[in-house]
Amino acid sequence: MLELIDLHRRFGDVVALDGVTFEVPEGRIVGFVGRNGAGKTTAMRISLGVLQADAGQVRWRGAPIDTSVRRRFGYMPEERGLYPKMRVLEQLIYLARLRGTPKDLARTRTIDLLATLEVVGAPTDRIESLSLGNQQRVQLAAALVHAPELLVLDEPFSGLDPVGVDVLADVLRREARQGGVAVVFSSHQLELVERLCDEVVLIDHGKIAARGTIDELHASRARDLWRVDVRGGDGAWWDVVPGVRAVSTDDGVVVLDLASSADPQRVLDVAREVGDVVSFGAVRLTLAELFREVVA
Amino acid sequence: MSGADRGAWRLVARRDFWVRLRERSFLISTLLNVGVISILVLARGASAGGDPRFQLGVVGSPAVVGIGNDAAALGEASKVTVDIVPLSAAQADQALQDGSVDAVLSEGQIVGLHEVDGTLLALVQTSAHAAAVADVFARHDVPQSERDAAAREAPLDELALDPRSPRQTADAGVAFIGVLLLYGQLFGYGTWVATGVIEEKASRVVEMLLSAIRPKQLLAGKIVGIGVLGLCQLAVIGGFAITLAALTGAIDNPVAAIRPALLVFGWFVLGFAFYASLFAAAGSLVSRMEELQNVIVPINLTILVSFIISIGALQDPNSTLSIAASILPISAALAMPVRIVVGAATPPQIVLSLALLIGSTILLVPVGARLYAGAILRTGARVKLRDAWRAT
Repeated sequence: MLELIDLHRRFGDVVALDGVTFEVPEGRIVGFVGRNGAGKTTAMRISLGVLQADAGQVRWRGAPIDTSVRRRFGYMPEERGLYPKMRVLEQLIYLARLRGTPKDLARTRTIDLLATLEVVGAPTDRIESLSLGNQQRVQLAAALVHAPELLVLDEPFSGLDPVGVDVLADVLRREARQGGVAVVFSSHQLELVERLCDEVVLIDHGKIAARGTIDELHASRARDLWRVDVRGGDGAWWDVVPGVRAVSTDDGVVVLDLASSADPQRVLDVAREVGDVVSFGAVRLTLAELFREVVA
Repeated sequence: MSGADRGAWRLVARRDFWVRLRERSFLISTLLNVGVISILVLARGASAGGDPRFQLGVVGSPAVVGIGNDAAALGEASKVTVDIVPLSAAQADQALQDGSVDAVLSEGQIVGLHEVDGTLLALVQTSAHAAAVADVFARHDVPQSERDAAAREAPLDELALDPRSPRQTADAGVAFIGVLLLYGQLFGYGTWVATGVIEEKASRVVEMLLSAIRPKQLLAGKIVGIGVLGLCQLAVIGGFAITLAALTGAIDNPVAAIRPALLVFGWFVLGFAFYASLFAAAGSLVSRMEELQNVIVPINLTILVSFIISIGALQDPNSTLSIAASILPISAALAMPVRIVVGAATPPQIVLSLALLIGSTILLVPVGARLYAGAILRTGARVKLRDAWRAT
């Protein structure tokens, strides 16, 4: 289990992390979400030792992390980076060997990964000659090539086409389920996070705003929510019903939070008075809606 | 620390070695060096190689031809070859113009195209003088025994207070080639260290690398890899130069040239160790290749000034400036080998210079490494030295 314990980090006057604590257990996929600048990359870089925390610590399997432990981690930095002029195969073998993988094993794994990740092009192509999407896949291969115990991926899905997203999602599931690898990745694609992750950690302004399974996040915010799609409904028409509050509005589709005193039927009546009700139903918030609510 | 962890710097060194070896700029710099060295060696072969040889045109009476022959005989004794070319008066000017003769001797005069070479002139003057004296002897019926006594008059012994040994003269040339090579290698390979650091920073691959290994391992690997490549290139160029010099007769004894070659090797290792971590630290301050020159100028200038002083030390190896430059660590790697090769450095000076250079390198490498580690992950604007120092 990777443990981030009460991490603090400032950059000048900017507080990037203000007491961040969460865990990434082996065999689980943890989604790390938050707005731009919320502290995701800083927390990930500290986990990999490429940045120092001002206070707090990171532990792996109960012990502090040194270089020999860190070599067993896989990392995909936010700022992608490979040697542009180095050949794909050569580069991946080199990165694997830096992390202690024997040469022959590194070669076998590299060739397997290039096939699994569906990298287009020859293993002898130079990185700079590949398309950006393919470079991204090679970057993923670089995080995986040494069979890591922990994967820390900063925005691994950005820049991938839908097929690439599916391929990577499969790889991450397999690494976690079959390999027992602890996986944490950041993403703004919340539908994907919801679909793929066992747990979600939501960071806001350097603090953990919410964490747990998707179900737990819902339970912590157990409410009577109704989604209403009403054509022609102008303004806050629901205000006339006592105990009703809008959670989110999106082009006529509004999610309403009803206090226990409020009657859904009364809301429907009001809605029908202001326009044509296309749909009306009890909802479970999507992660995106939960996210907006938490960071609002 | 596991075995693989300890070996990380070796992997880095191997990569840097092979990547640079396959770069076009390596091939170009090798060819350029080989070309420059060839020109220097061949030029040396033409001037110093072999003994002087002159073509002397003679015009006129058998007496003039006799003087020419005497000059040739005289020249033989001092390993100067004078070939006699009989000419008609009409041919003389043309022969001088087209360079088929170096000078034309006729009754009472010797004519050159622009001037007459001093050695040739001295030989001919001496012969003409001897002929005149013989003529006088003949007219006054001086007995043969007295003529022989006069002719036996011993020539002056040539002595020198501070004689240049032939080896020393030859070694000044070798030292020049050596210091030129050293300068080129220290400058070129130091710049390559800085370039390599910036490349890794600019392409952001450094964050991948430093999530796997420590900054010091990356730094050590880079310096060793590039340094070993510099040594290999020196070996190729040195081997080529010595072979060429031996084949063209520019040096008599190729084995004797190995000593200065080894000196260049040794001082390259010491000098590179001294400068390389500074080049790396300088490179780590910036994130874009365009900024390379800005940060390495102070180091390059130091090496350039050391080089200029070292060239001066070829002429005047015992001036205060030469001695100081050969002992101070910032210039010792260039100035000291020059003074050693020309035979001017005393053992205490050499020991002091080595001690200071090695000692200051031991002090400097951790400083360079700390600046490097503090700056290498800070991309964007140029990192201030103070911030880099405090970062770790």
